[in-house]
Amino acid sequence: MGSTPVAGELLAIGELAPGRITLEFRAPGLIAALRPGHALHVVRPESGGYRLRRVAPISRIDLLRGSVEVVLQPRADGGQDALAGLRIGEIVELIGPIGQPIRINKATMRLLLIADGEGFAWVRALAIAATSAGISVTMLQQAETAGDLPPASLLPDVVEIVVATSDGSIGHRGSVADLLAEYFPWADQAIVAGAAEMRAAATAAALRRRTPDRTTANGKPARTRPVPAGDRAPWLQSLLSHEIGCGIGACGGCTVATRDGQVRLCREGPAVDAMGAQSTGGA
Amino acid sequence: MPPRKRTKVTTPRKSRATQVAEQVNERVNPLTVDLAVTLGAEHPLRLERPIVVASGPLGFGNEAGGAIDLRDVGLFVVRGISLRPRYGGPMPRLVEVPGGLLHGVNRENPGADEVLDRHGASWRSAPCAVALSLVANSVKELAQLIARVERRADELGIAALEIDLTAPCDGLDGSRWESSADEALRLIDTARGATDRPLIAKVSSAASELRRLASESLDAGIDVLSVSGSPHGFLPDRSRRGPALAAGVGELSGPLVRPAALAAIAEAASGAGAPIIGGGGIGSPADALDAFAAGASAVSLGTALWADPRLPRAVGDSLRRAVAARGETGLLALRGSALGSRHE
Repeated sequence: MGSTPVAGELLAIGELAPGRITLEFRAPGLIAALRPGHALHVVRPESGGYRLRRVAPISRIDLLRGSVEVVLQPRADGGQDALAGLRIGEIVELIGPIGQPIRINKATMRLLLIADGEGFAWVRALAIAATSAGISVTMLQQAETAGDLPPASLLPDVVEIVVATSDGSIGHRGSVADLLAEYFPWADQAIVAGAAEMRAAATAAALRRRTPDRTTANGKPARTRPVPAGDRAPWLQSLLSHEIGCGIGACGGCTVATRDGQVRLCREGPAVDAMGAQSTGGA
Repeated sequence: MPPRKRTKVTTPRKSRATQVAEQVNERVNPLTVDLAVTLGAEHPLRLERPIVVASGPLGFGNEAGGAIDLRDVGLFVVRGISLRPRYGGPMPRLVEVPGGLLHGVNRENPGADEVLDRHGASWRSAPCAVALSLVANSVKELAQLIARVERRADELGIAALEIDLTAPCDGLDGSRWESSADEALRLIDTARGATDRPLIAKVSSAASELRRLASESLDAGIDVLSVSGSPHGFLPDRSRRGPALAAGVGELSGPLVRPAALAAIAEAASGAGAPIIGGGGIGSPADALDAFAAGASAVSLGTALWADPRLPRAVGDSLRRAVAARGETGLLALRGSALGSRHE
């Protein structure tokens, strides 16, 4: 539905972080169209014979192997994910790409990624692609404790990783929100993915950052250069995750209100202008 | 007495292939089975196939044609529309539950005028009948909504109107219309006075006084009763400090509602009122046959279409085969077959 289902052969099962299963599928006919920010719908019967289109963010694209790695999102009801029981060699239906790629401006040379355990799944592929393109990437990672963090080996060596843990077991004790004032001035663009509180903190910090930009040193309003609409990506984009739905923008299950109107995450998302996003949900 | 001469009578043994060929010849060819059905008598609604796409899962129209082949469908019910825009609320709006799905889209829509402007052309060109699902919080609002729709209904090729009795009612403090048969019948009566188009009333398995509603709604002006609405559901989030769904209470779809939906279809069928569109958790051709056996005259497909867009065709083929296997050529052979003699 929407896109034609493609058969995907399971090549490998891994773990991005505790409880976050990754599945690597061979799907050479599909990967050419995939970009960071896209998701796939993975279809497989659940118990009771029900088939749902499950949204799985793309965490890695391997052009040489003709494979794509997706991450299973924990079910909101805490139930067992039938997809986690797949065996190597099994075939499932993959539908995609779902959504739009994350937009990175051509002029961007310093990219700041802010993510917690859930958001990491959505931005890992971007970190890989951006560093390949010569962009400096810093990732601020939020976790409850050191054991919840994804291994650093999942990111290219050139990515600077800055960690904040709630219990202080590693890195900064507290929240990544405490670090934003330090890293925002460095970045040409920033992406935040994860819990609603973290996204809200990043948006608030970005708004504070913008205020001084609006006046010059002598106190007069700064002149803003007119930019054609749609030409530049927002400075801070917020990634809003969604779990299930029709995947064609019809059912209303992933619609969020933004300053620019209603955004269907499966069609126009998952990245939205953080300054314009009114939704407190998602992620 | 001399012993009778025993004569051995032998009949030529038929090959297995011959036996199968004879059986096939005795049966009705499934291709000759007529799937067309006319629902209602006062304002008849003719469907080329007894297969309905439920209001909601496939949107307002523009998206649906690219999602499934509407030639396999008898009736496409457009996602619920209201007089004024309705906002669906924050995410998450969909939560997976064992055997199904909890949803809280709150009948989000941009209002009747915008839906008609943006999607009307797709209804006109659809290869199946199209019905609008109307959402109103009050009797007055429904009358206004129907008046607004009727101005353009012929031009847009709208075959029927569905009154959503699973929507909240102001007069019932936000409870559903279907929670009071009296209020539901009052709404139906108003709708009948506002249109000559076939009217479908949608209820869920949780409807109050369903048997009474089924029998009296025909007199109130309903042509078809759609027992396919989603019952309420609730799930705490993983921390159990709040609801999993942002809206709190949502609506359930999927196989977990099917037994209750079949019971409701059977109960409504025993009310001997309007013909019934049966739905709720239908995910396979076998499920569709169950709905017919419980008394439905047509079946409604919902979220199962997300993962299986070929389901309408499979259901149609299965119905043909099931009718032919009974040596019949019409769908009447299937309706209510599991209800026993007291329902026939």
